[in-house]
Amino acid sequence: MTGIKIAIVCGASCGGCDVSLVNLNEKLLEIAEHAEIVFWHTATDFKLEDLEKVDSIDLGIYIGSIRTEEHLELAKKLREKAKYIVAFGSCACFGGLYGLGNLSEKRELIKTGYLETPSTENPEEKLPGDKITVDSIDITLPSLTEWNMPLNKVINVDFYVQGCPPLSQSIEGFYRLVKDYIEKGIVPERGVAVTGIKTLCDICKRKKPEKIVIKKFRRIHEGPVDPELCFLAQGIICLGPITVAACDGLCINANMPCRGCLGPPPDIIDRAGKFISTIASLVEIEDEKSLSDEELMNIVQKIVDPLGTFHRFTFASGIFDKKQEDVEE
Amino acid sequence: MTDNHEPKIVAFLCRWCAYAGADLAGVSRLEYPPNITPILVPCSGRIDPQFILLALKNGADGVFIGGCHTPNDCHYISGNYKALKRYALLKKYLEQLGINPKRIRLEWVSATEGAKFARVIKEFTEELKKLGPLHVR
Repeated sequence: MTGIKIAIVCGASCGGCDVSLVNLNEKLLEIAEHAEIVFWHTATDFKLEDLEKVDSIDLGIYIGSIRTEEHLELAKKLREKAKYIVAFGSCACFGGLYGLGNLSEKRELIKTGYLETPSTENPEEKLPGDKITVDSIDITLPSLTEWNMPLNKVINVDFYVQGCPPLSQSIEGFYRLVKDYIEKGIVPERGVAVTGIKTLCDICKRKKPEKIVIKKFRRIHEGPVDPELCFLAQGIICLGPITVAACDGLCINANMPCRGCLGPPPDIIDRAGKFISTIASLVEIEDEKSLSDEELMNIVQKIVDPLGTFHRFTFASGIFDKKQEDVEE
Repeated sequence: MTDNHEPKIVAFLCRWCAYAGADLAGVSRLEYPPNITPILVPCSGRIDPQFILLALKNGADGVFIGGCHTPNDCHYISGNYKALKRYALLKKYLEQLGINPKRIRLEWVSATEGAKFARVIKEFTEELKKLGPLHVR
């Protein structure tokens, strides 16, 4: 099979995923031999018309989350044309870091970003969606969608490649997927994460005590960190138990706890909910009876920012994916 | 908020204490509001915070958790402590989410405390009536 068409579309993304794609190095050339890249607006000068012109695309790769009307349009157009859609990177899969933007209303975000920050100079108070004239050309920045969304809330997604950005196993899994498709025309079952389902704790080589007991929560900057010992055993929050291991433990090898960029294994519905269960259970385990109920609750509530920590990359795909309005009257 | 709002409460009750307490309240003919939907779980330590989030998302105005008294009543030795610690953290999480943490309530109810069960359900229902319906968006 020769000459498949690939389109790479970029939504709300930092560009790291594009770099990660380029990091395929020679493998990218192998792919390029059998494939034609019909759209990749981060790499070369493609316009939306170029995507519209193509009759059909075999593989559509979407990078980033959905945050503007333009992203929405691009994603829908891509779904229309593409046989298979790959959500590439944690933003496309779960909403990513940008998902935490859902803790603020759209108008608050725009106000801060376009009017209030000290480095902003916007005397006419032009906001996304307003027409601006530059050198007698009218330009309109796309307006923001109400909320940040992962790709699968907008269109059907066939495959997920997690990671922020996807590295090692993720990117290899992705490469195999594309290669098998090019050479043999086979595709795995839909919805499969190409990264596998093992968690980081499964592959972690740090020493783990028989029982992990947390007496006190500690943040990474508070005192020395034992590079050999499990982070949780030291009272440092590490998202290893609920994170897919497709990173070869880059962070934990550098003595930094896992932040969970690869997302949860597939059987977890809400990551924060699950991790609340995990982390709270470890507090003073088997020694609870020496403390009063209030003392125990106090230790657990010492965790700073549970939402931002447990849901750092996945808030937009959680059970509650946005700020709720439930104020006491 | 509205006076005639009847809150929906999902009540996770442990098989050994709280559910038996609810049973006792029933056979003792104690009156308490019919707003709860009891769900029998083997132990309060079996209640995954995801269950509570799903309940709130899917129409419950409040979630009640009933377990055995600390320190020594739990049939599985420390399940009630697991529930307690998760509950404490979940409250903080809900606050960050913008959901009033009073919408979840944990109580220890033993098998002999039918009266307590009726009382806390009554209190909780009143509290939720004051809070009004939970509008999920």
